Amino acid sequence: MTANTRTLSLPVQGMSCASCVAHVERALRELPGVETVAVNLATNKASLTYDPGRATLRDMAHAVDGVGYAVPTAELTLDVRGMTCASCVAHVEGALKEVEGVTTATVNLGLGTARVSFIPGVATAGQMKRAVHDAGYEALERSQGADALDRERQAREEEIRRQGRNLLIAGSIGLIVMIGTFYDMLGPLKALVPEWLSYKWVIGLLTTPIVLGPGRQFFTNSWRGLKHGVTDMNLLYATGIGAAYGIAVINTLFPTAGFGGEGATFFESAALLTAFIILGRWLEALTRGRTSEAIRKLMKLQPKIARVVRDGREAEVPADEVEVGDLILVRPGEGVPVDGTVTDGYSAVDESMLTGESLPVEKKAGDNVIGGTLNKTGAFRFTAGRVGADTALAQIIQLVENAQASKAPIQKLADWVAGHFILGVHMLAGAVFIFWFFFGYRMFFDPNSSFILSPYKLGEIGVFGFSLLLSVTVLVISCPCAVGLATPSAMMAGTGKAAEHGVLFKSAEAIENASKLETIVFDKTGTLTKGEPSVTEVVVSGQWAWAPESQAQAQEGLEDRLLRLGAVTERNSEHPLGEAIVRGAEARGLVLVEPESFNSIPGHGVEARVEGKSVLLGNRKLMRERGVDFGGLMPQAERLEAEGKTVMFVAVEGQPAGLIAVADTLKDDSPEAIRRLHKLGIEVAMITGDNRRTAEAIARQVGIERVLAEVLPQDKAAEVKKLQALGKKVAMVGDGVNDAPALAQADVGMAIGSGTDVAKETGDVILIKDDLRDVVVALEVAKATMRKVKQNLFWAFIYNVLGIPLGAGLFYPFMALVISPELAGLLMAVSSVTVTLNTLLLKGFKPSLRRENKAQRGMGMASSQLAPAAGD
Amino acid sequence: MEHEQIERAVARRSAALYLPISIGAALAFWLAASLVGGYPPVAQIGGAVWVGILSLIVSMPMVTARVKRRAPAP
Repeated sequence: MTANTRTLSLPVQGMSCASCVAHVERALRELPGVETVAVNLATNKASLTYDPGRATLRDMAHAVDGVGYAVPTAELTLDVRGMTCASCVAHVEGALKEVEGVTTATVNLGLGTARVSFIPGVATAGQMKRAVHDAGYEALERSQGADALDRERQAREEEIRRQGRNLLIAGSIGLIVMIGTFYDMLGPLKALVPEWLSYKWVIGLLTTPIVLGPGRQFFTNSWRGLKHGVTDMNLLYATGIGAAYGIAVINTLFPTAGFGGEGATFFESAALLTAFIILGRWLEALTRGRTSEAIRKLMKLQPKIARVVRDGREAEVPADEVEVGDLILVRPGEGVPVDGTVTDGYSAVDESMLTGESLPVEKKAGDNVIGGTLNKTGAFRFTAGRVGADTALAQIIQLVENAQASKAPIQKLADWVAGHFILGVHMLAGAVFIFWFFFGYRMFFDPNSSFILSPYKLGEIGVFGFSLLLSVTVLVISCPCAVGLATPSAMMAGTGKAAEHGVLFKSAEAIENASKLETIVFDKTGTLTKGEPSVTEVVVSGQWAWAPESQAQAQEGLEDRLLRLGAVTERNSEHPLGEAIVRGAEARGLVLVEPESFNSIPGHGVEARVEGKSVLLGNRKLMRERGVDFGGLMPQAERLEAEGKTVMFVAVEGQPAGLIAVADTLKDDSPEAIRRLHKLGIEVAMITGDNRRTAEAIARQVGIERVLAEVLPQDKAAEVKKLQALGKKVAMVGDGVNDAPALAQADVGMAIGSGTDVAKETGDVILIKDDLRDVVVALEVAKATMRKVKQNLFWAFIYNVLGIPLGAGLFYPFMALVISPELAGLLMAVSSVTVTLNTLLLKGFKPSLRRENKAQRGMGMASSQLAPAAGD
Repeated sequence: MEHEQIERAVARRSAALYLPISIGAALAFWLAASLVGGYPPVAQIGGAVWVGILSLIVSMPMVTARVKRRAPAP
């Protein structure tokens, strides 16, 4: 991406299959200035990178419109205050039109309103209000303006309603048509059905509203596409329904015309085919939205109102109008509206919705709070730090949306196949027709043959009717509608599921790559370890003679005394090791006084006067130079160093007093994360700039066998490359700026949420919490998602693979059975529904860690409930 | 405006190609059915129409897309 490019998520309406995806992508890619395009059928969005100087939103909307689809727009009315004359109108209109995503803006001076037409998701009400504000006026959103989320839900509900209405008409009349068609086979039930219902012209009259009503969408959509040189699933349906209906009309009106006569009317085929296809569309609309529930859940987290304290008074303002620096009050049970830092108050906040952390997190002055989380117990006030699109929640939503709009390599292949399928199917339908017309009918036709799952005999059907029947069935049964949904629906569910557990995949490709990982390289400092040294051991010399000078000192142990002396000595030091000693002493509750004097010895240590005694603290070289003999403690010093710890020597009044060992300690969850990765069969390596001895000591503690030590920051990427050269799929987990090249080099770069922005920017996966076990969660979700993708592709193709030969009459010579067009339509509807329902199963997926935690909690509760009973 | 003119020109040029292709395919089918013999006229004509429709559906998008690619950008 160049410096001038922008990214955009453009909604596209009217796509129904993978070939639509290919058409929209091609139309957008052909625009000058558009660099990359990826269209996602499941989200109905096109994700673009483009040069705004060369391509405009209008061009894009026009290009999408040109291939028969549409970029939906929404309307919003703003109340604008401060306008006094016609020039104000021009100013406000100009300011609104400058907002990217606004297509038209009409200001009414008399009413003081601005009617804005915009592309939802590209422009927001907040941006428009800011634009008006910057132009010197004030704008308020009218209450009827629904937000993007509501509009999306409304659009989906409208589609469900529309297809539901169509299904009701086509289904109910289709049922009557079927009863009329099979009147002769109703047996005793005949008495319940009037005979006239079986008349061909009555059946024809009943079928006509189905084809021209609910079925009209297929004809109009396919004609619109054909005019622009594109073909989609609608064309398959339109040809199938149109041929069945057309022949039926001819055979009813002109039974002697030679098309097979009354025995070859396919009214029920046209009626039921339409009904089944619409059934598929309705079920698809019903279930498609559920795969993107995770993103909707995230969007719903954003509180709409914030209690802002201004001039000492509390006022409720829309959350998107909160500004950086505003003081915000949050009461128990309320949501945190934006990100910020607590200034006063105390509470526990439920952050599970963003981090997956099940226990509420305590918040006090100085702690950060995240917008979208839920305040549980107390009240607190905080200063807004990040608002609008900068909040963590907004960025998470953006990341998840981007990931859902992106394409995995496997999906690109599926789309290519589906995109070229339609024309191939029409060619196949032509070949099937020609074969049965010239050869097949003469050689194999049996008047006693019938349709599968139907007692309806083919009887007197002629060569043309029979060939046409098989040709139409091939068209209908070949529809690759489920192929277009197979991958994106699973990816949407997978990215959403991962986000629920605090793992953000930035693209579908990251999921696919993560599912294939063989080796994971962990950065050491700050990733496996806490990233700051702490005191691990205090060793007191047996030679250290010390007499307590006070009651308090008498109660103090020798170790604490040594640590306290060391901490007081280091109190004014800024060296990380010195700070670690101070923290260590404070953690033990030791009281630290000011040293009487302090002197830093660069590169060696420090010396100070504490409680009237001279204290020397530093490395071995310093002690040697000052002539302090630590010979008696050397075995312990060497043992500690072999464990990767840094040893500080402490001498009091020129005599060896003891050792203080300091080390960067492992995060609590690191060993468990590594153990779980090993269980998954993943090879784990650690990369660090530390010397080999220190690195191996840490690796031993955490359970890592492969150590890449003494690697300079700039060489980390090269080490990852070496592993890739061995043919391995490698992930890199890191947190720092120096990890960024390695994160970019790896097949999957995983950045820790507490890490630097550069690392998060570069990584393909972000672990929101500072918990390495989420690497395991990421892998498990990725594997589960790809399993689902493969299952979906199987279900999408298996119907076609089995159905096409059946539809083409391959088995007819042996079985004297053909598949009817309506059964073919039903099979295709079932195919789409199978894929979507299979994807929905992913909603129940839980990573092993969460499952086990839940089971443990359950056992804990059970045992706590059992305990009193046992006592009784 | 210019864009619409180009669209119309593309549509005209494409039709000049795909219509003869489809009619040609239909005529070829009719000719083959006549030469083989034994088919009622309605089957011959119906078959030719169906083959013509399928040829039109196959050739129309292919030809239009190709002509569009070669047309000058608006």
